Amino acid sequence: MLIELNQVIPEPIPKEMIERSEVWGTQLKIEPRTFNLISAHSGKGKSTLLHLLYGLRKDFSGEVIMNGENIQKQTTYNWTSLRSTQIALLFQELKLFPKLCARENIELIPQINQNVPSGLEMAKQLGMEGFLTKPVETLSFGQRQRIALIRTLRKPFKLLLLDEPFSHLDQENTNLASNLINEIARTNQATVLITSLGEAPPLSFDRILSL
Amino acid sequence: MKNSFSKSSLQSSLNVSGPKRELWIASLGCLIGSTLLIIAIQLYQDTSSILKDREAPKNYFTLNKKVEGGALVNLGKNERTFTSDELDKIKALDGVKKIGGFIRNKFPLTLYIWPSGKVGLGAAAKTDLFFESIPDEFLDFIPKDWNWNENSEVVPIMVPKFYLDLWNFGLAPSRVEYPALSTEAATGMPIELFIGKNRETTLSGRFVAFSKRINSVLVPANFLQWANKKFGQPEANDFFFLWKNGSIEGPPLTRSSLASLRDEPEFKNWEISPLENPAERTPALQALSEKKKKAGPSRIILEIEDNPSSSLTSYIQQNGLEINREFPEQDTIKKAIQAIFLGIAVIGALLSLLSIATFATSFRLVVAQASEQAKNLLLLGFSHGQISNVIFTRFLTLFLFILAGSVLAGYGIKSLLFKLAYEYGITLQSGLSFETIAYIVLYGLIYILINRIVIKNSVNKLLD
Repeated sequence: MLIELNQVIPEPIPKEMIERSEVWGTQLKIEPRTFNLISAHSGKGKSTLLHLLYGLRKDFSGEVIMNGENIQKQTTYNWTSLRSTQIALLFQELKLFPKLCARENIELIPQINQNVPSGLEMAKQLGMEGFLTKPVETLSFGQRQRIALIRTLRKPFKLLLLDEPFSHLDQENTNLASNLINEIARTNQATVLITSLGEAPPLSFDRILSL
Repeated sequence: MKNSFSKSSLQSSLNVSGPKRELWIASLGCLIGSTLLIIAIQLYQDTSSILKDREAPKNYFTLNKKVEGGALVNLGKNERTFTSDELDKIKALDGVKKIGGFIRNKFPLTLYIWPSGKVGLGAAAKTDLFFESIPDEFLDFIPKDWNWNENSEVVPIMVPKFYLDLWNFGLAPSRVEYPALSTEAATGMPIELFIGKNRETTLSGRFVAFSKRINSVLVPANFLQWANKKFGQPEANDFFFLWKNGSIEGPPLTRSSLASLRDEPEFKNWEISPLENPAERTPALQALSEKKKKAGPSRIILEIEDNPSSSLTSYIQQNGLEINREFPEQDTIKKAIQAIFLGIAVIGALLSLLSIATFATSFRLVVAQASEQAKNLLLLGFSHGQISNVIFTRFLTLFLFILAGSVLAGYGIKSLLFKLAYEYGITLQSGLSFETIAYIVLYGLIYILINRIVIKNSVNKLLD
């Protein structure tokens, strides 16, 4: 999916931050099937950028063009369709359902992607197969993060947005998760945007952008 | 790509149990309101049907001039009849569709009714009676055996339905020799008709039908015309006093008796006067040459549009007429019963409206309580429709359960009333009528539609 940002400035970003940013207030083109790292300290607008691309925020100036279409002109119906078939987002706050078990959370997506391994296989790859029947509220934040990642990767997507996906994972689990993301994103020929607080995850990026 | 989620997971993810207390109140209000509505609608139909069966036909009335004074005053007086001018005026009144006159027998008539079914067997009910006839178009229906001609063996007779009730509930219980009669048994009774003061002629008759419309003893018009011609006596207005030399001579004479005296030498000097006004003398010769005045009917039947119009009622009052149907009382009872059920229906409808409002508020709360989870589902790509369907399904399950309870309760109450009414001799239709079921379906659809809109709007406001 091709993404173009034309002089995009979100509402709460201070002017001095915009001047130093490689994203805000610039002409930026993110090519299809590329891996992109958005790196910045807290409060620079990493989540804002992903939410904006996911249609959750409309408080910005400038233009965001996705596959040639201005996202500000998308209707609620179109966004529902995009979120269920084109764009997958892993939220920083995960947005899991605590009363449901891990397996139910993984299965609770409107449509399933046929080009990915099953939820059980992915859980095995991330060492989570033993926790699938546990209610999510009983899992640690790191375990929840992996369940949320599996759920995100099971959705159909051409644009994969991952908001600090390894923030609560140790190095070993970060490597496992990175391998899974790399494998699935390349299989689906998706554009990937990953945000990070600074240290780059063990993935091969086409572009690293600083906010 | 295919659906991944199970409906139960979707339901579990949304906490749709809702505020229990509010839902209990709404459910109870809905149950009571719906039951009251069902009962009111059903009983309104039942009572309307019973009243319709029992009430006199609304559009037919008979009119006659008031008879005033005692028997001695009225003896020998002319019958108070309607003139052709009066008939034309009545015909032209607002709401009057058509009018017809009654013809009456002009001969003494005695009936022997044999309830045993055979002449001479057991005791006969004997009575002096009269016959009337009206044009067939005013009859409720034309009975199968209503035809009569001179060769007929039996004279068909139609009496009011309440005569049979009087027989069954008045006469029969007080006289051991008279059995109670069904309609079929009553039509099978042989009747002897004795005509003339000394019962010179005997005919056979039979009740062929019972009228709810006409309060009279009716026979076919052609029979009465034939019988009046054959057995009829002179009418009161066809008797005269004969004056000879300034004083009344002998008893009153009929027109035919007067004619037989025409050849008397002094006839041209004689005078006559009507019975009711002896001072109004005219030469006898002139009276014979005048054609006999044709008397109009003394009682007429009217078909009107609906209840009597104000012009008709005021005409009746101003001209001292009498109307036979006591419609105001009947209408008052009907209106009172209708008002009671309307009251119940209004209370039921108000309770239902309140419960709709409470349900709607409760399900807004359900959506509010589930808003966090619902937003998360929307973020995952679920549509507003999918989410509102989950909450609507919860409402629908609860509502249909309550409605089924209301129908059962309504059916139970109706069955109880059915038994009670039966003990009082009133037969109601058992169960709920098709109309009531149709009303319930319509009511249910409105209830469902309102809550569907409320839930949909509440969900649509999420993530706007």
